Parts: sequence; C-alpha cells; structure tokens
Amino acid sequence: MNTSTELKGEIKRLLVENLMLQISAEEIGDDQPLFGPNSLGLDSVDALQLVVALDKNYGLKLSDTEVARKVMQTVNTLAEAIQKHQSLPK
Amino acid sequence: MNSRIILITGANGALGRATAQAFLDESPGNFVWFGINRRREHAEALAATNPGRCRIISLDVTMPDAWKSVVAEIVAVHQRLDVLINNAGTHDDALLAQMKWESWHGVLAVNLDGVFHGCQAVMPVMISQRNGRIVNVASLSALVAPPGQTNYAAAKAGVVALTQSLAKEVARIGITVNAVCPGYLDTEALAGLDAAAKKKALEQIPMRRFGKPKEVAAAIRFLACAEAGYITGSALKIDGGIF
Repeated sequence: MNTSTELKGEIKRLLVENLMLQISAEEIGDDQPLFGPNSLGLDSVDALQLVVALDKNYGLKLSDTEVARKVMQTVNTLAEAIQKHQSLPK
Repeated sequence: MNSRIILITGANGALGRATAQAFLDESPGNFVWFGINRRREHAEALAATNPGRCRIISLDVTMPDAWKSVVAEIVAVHQRLDVLINNAGTHDDALLAQMKWESWHGVLAVNLDGVFHGCQAVMPVMISQRNGRIVNVASLSALVAPPGQTNYAAAKAGVVALTQSLAKEVARIGITVNAVCPGYLDTEALAGLDAAAKKKALEQIPMRRFGKPKEVAAAIRFLACAEAGYITGSALKIDGGIF
C-alpha cells in the first residue's frame, strides 16, 4: 500500500468521524464528489468542519474560498492538496 | 464536575463579575479568563481572591486581531476553550433625531460587532473540540425597544438574531449558542438614573424590584452547563416579568 492510498484512507476516516457520516470509510470513492448532485451529500456546515479538521490534522489552511472549493471536491483532490502542502519546505 | 475554561468579556462590570463568580463557584477546576479593554480594578480584586483560577487579558472586542490573539493564548495555555460569554457592552442613549453617527456606530461596534468577532474567533477551537457553549448578553431592549436607544436596541436585537442564526449553523457540531435578555439590573448603569427615573422604571416591573447581577449570572451559567446541551438559539428574558 503506497503513501497516497494510506492518505486517502485516512481522509475517508476523517470525513466519517468528523462529519458523523452514516456510512463507512470504505464506501467513499476516491473520485466521488463531496458536494452537489450524486455526491457524498456534504453541506456548508460540513465544509466548515472539514476546513478546521484539515488545519488541525495536516496544517493545511484553506482560508481562500476559491482554493477551498477546488481542494474539497473529492478525496483525490484533498489528498493532492495535503501531499503538496506536506512537500513544501517548512 | 469537570473543569472548564471560560472567557468572559466586559468582566470588570457588575454582571461580568457576577458571571465570573458563578463559574468560579461552579467547580474548583474552572479557570476564568477576563477579557477587559479599559478599567480592570474590580476584575483585579476578584482575581486576587481566586489566585491561580483566573487571569485578566486585554481585549478590545471591536478588533478581530485582538480576539484571535486572546483565543490563541488561551488555547496555548489550556489546549481548549469551553465557554465564551460575550458580555462586553456599552450604551450612549439619545433620541435618533439628535444622535451622532459616532454614537450609533460606537454602540453597534462594541455590542454587535464585538459579539460577531468573538463568535468567529472561537469557532475553529470549538468546532475542533466538537463542543462549546456561547452565551451572548443581549438586553430586554432587544425585545421591547425603548425610546432613546435606537443604537442600543438595534445592536441587542442584532445579537439575538445572530444568536439564533449561529445556533442553527453549529447545532450539529455540539456547540450551543444562547442569549440572555436582562431587564433593569441593579448595576453601575442604573446608578446613573435619578430617583424619579428609578421610580418610573420600578413601576414597569411586576416584581417591583430591580434584578440582581447574580440572578442573570445564574442563568448564564446554566445555559453554559453540560445539562443545558439541548438548549440552543434561545433568548432568555430575565426581567422581573415586564414582557
């Protein structure tokens, strides 16, 4: 299992636990939209919680609304943003 | 009872002090932060009688950056913040026809903007905790707006509306947001009234007495306790039966 797969699993567990989703982490697809039609069904309050959780768990700050919208599309986009953030020089 | 970390703004005034005392009495483990902008002599006296259980911190509630640094300091010390009491307030009464814009703006800045900034500042930590209690001190003037208080009444009505809206936003995260609406209280503000005005005020109160700060403080403490976890978005009037 590579780092990216582990990270995606971690993100899915974070979504389920922090947003109290009534599904298991395994049921969330990597490319499944988080918001909108045919999505996981998250709303603006979930987005707020997710922003806080990403900051707390990964130090990823999404203060710009447009950037947040792009990052919080799917588990894949979240994983990419986290990996990019973690690769930045500290 | 568990220990809790509480931040009270405007803690130098009678209601702020009574509220601080209520939380100090609630549990020996509670720690109360007094957010104060200017005068602090009464808060210092209260802190001196409760060594190691309170701390005074400078806070201008109209400044978002000041809020951020206060919350950051509290979280750095305790790693959490359980309760926010937005109590800081001011009034500058005048008939609207004669009210200066500075008076309008100044009262809204402290009484309404201050509550907005405070709630916004504590959101990340309370969301992260998935738990928090916010109690906003509004006023009976929010519900029964008297003449001469267009600025104050509008600000406090705004606080009630903010409370109800925010309560819905964060209800499922475990954060409750409530308001209290005190009527006439036996505080410094009342001391400014002359005897005739006091008599007139008393005649409006079915209980025929002014409220005590500790009676409002008890309600604030209750709304902030674990047992009040299903109460959110409420605006509790504490007025001796006026309304």
